[in-house]
Amino acid sequence: MTEERDPELDMVLKRAGIIPPPGRYRGLLATYRDLQAMLPLLRGPRTAAAEPAGIYVLDTITREPAP
Amino acid sequence: MTALQDLPIAEAGKRLRDGSLTATALAQDSLDRIAERDGALQSFVLLTADRALADAAKADKELAAGIDRGPMHGIPYALKDIYDTGGIRSTCHSKLRIDNIPDADCVVGQKLVAGGGVLLGKLATHEFALGGPSFDLPFPPARNPWNLDHVTGGSSSGSGAAVAGRLVRTAMGSDTGGSIRGPAAYCGTVGLKPTYGLVSRRGVFPLSYTLDHCGPLAASVEDAAITTQVIAGYDPSDPASVNRPVPDLLSGLQDGVGGLRIGLPSNLWRGAEGLTPETAAALERLAEELAAAGAIVEEVTLPDYPLFNACGRVILLAEAFAIHEDDLRARPQDYGELFFMRVAVAASISAADYMQAQRLRRELAMAVNRVALQRHDLLLTACALGPAPAFAEFPRDMPGPMAIQTMPFNVTGNPALSMPAGLSAGGLPLSAQLVARPFEEALLLRAGRAIEKITAGWGFSQHLPEHALASPALVPAAG
Repeated sequence: MTEERDPELDMVLKRAGIIPPPGRYRGLLATYRDLQAMLPLLRGPRTAAAEPAGIYVLDTITREPAP
Repeated sequence: MTALQDLPIAEAGKRLRDGSLTATALAQDSLDRIAERDGALQSFVLLTADRALADAAKADKELAAGIDRGPMHGIPYALKDIYDTGGIRSTCHSKLRIDNIPDADCVVGQKLVAGGGVLLGKLATHEFALGGPSFDLPFPPARNPWNLDHVTGGSSSGSGAAVAGRLVRTAMGSDTGGSIRGPAAYCGTVGLKPTYGLVSRRGVFPLSYTLDHCGPLAASVEDAAITTQVIAGYDPSDPASVNRPVPDLLSGLQDGVGGLRIGLPSNLWRGAEGLTPETAAALERLAEELAAAGAIVEEVTLPDYPLFNACGRVILLAEAFAIHEDDLRARPQDYGELFFMRVAVAASISAADYMQAQRLRRELAMAVNRVALQRHDLLLTACALGPAPAFAEFPRDMPGPMAIQTMPFNVTGNPALSMPAGLSAGGLPLSAQLVARPFEEALLLRAGRAIEKITAGWGFSQHLPEHALASPALVPAAG
């Protein structure tokens, strides 16, 4: 039986330089499709001023001990 | 006479101080139970017996000399194997770090050592705290003490199994999307994900920088409170750590729920895939009994669960990919199948996807904290939507059927507590989840203690039957 392939997933992996070990494509395809189905949920109506959580806070960096 | 594994930490502490118990006896009892039971549970990936006995002997000597390091002094604990332990192998349950021996303890480990705790060893996890249960890793998956054919949940799988099996009363886990609360729910223990920023993550291998939390799985609410009291506190070396005093988590623990306003966001779980009638009934019963105990329980509406899930999953996977991308390219075969399949596909997440997720995250955090938790002191919601699935339900090469609703409070960072809520007809623990405002762990644990008393009246004492491990019938995952 021929394994189902997805050209978009193949391109994603190729561009990332990831070569899946044998036997792992079926699971990758399932999780890829699951992830792709979630992405539209992230995009709600927002203004340009709607900032993300976790914005850059300089204080948290300057307080760290020097490496 | 109460068996030592059933002694609450506070009671053990009293006996250690009045001389009727020694830390050495307590540690030896845990080591004996591990020797007897962990062959079936497989919760430990490394036992540090010599270290434990040395820690215990030191605690005995100090307590006899009047040196008191606090409530964990002389008390056994164990660490999930993503916590760095100086000079002790820390593998993340992965072939990629199988020889890793850190130079120093993580900050939580340092606090437990300073508090006089007794380290028993390192606990199983899903690989790098994601995926699982897996049979293609250097160590086998931990098994659920209530039924060895069932999973523990993850990723703090060994912590859940070890505490539920009473090999230890408190163990550290980590929670990025539910990895403390999930195994706590499936194994029938208490699991506390503290507020983001209350407990340092320095020296704990990251899964997702902005979602990771460290906290305990414990045999009781009081045990969880004691552990958290010791490990909490500002750490300038953790960028997420918040500089504020650690609240007193213990003195108000018995104050009950009288007058507290508890919101019930049933829109999250009603109709959700995987919700069992038993879990729905347990939540309804709990709401009724909390009201009977004096709480004001009201329906409240939160944003839909799929929004929280998508937001959290995209952030988690994008950040995990950033951590692992070099190894995913160079050593793909060294990852277990489940971790690899989940994280490799995160190469498809764009920068815009990630930023939209972070923008959604702010909106969701506002909805929880500026709306729902303005009117209510706490939220009562589902944790696991059903009892622990069997290993046999998990395909080897695909994500399995673990239905839990813990991600919302990783996204928002609120403290969240997984509580046992009775048993299923099949004899497996059911669960509920309580959520509080940021840094209101004291209130959260107080309500958790009230739930503990209520569910004890349901015939569930967070204590698995002794026969559970008597005749293990191990079933591997489906092929």
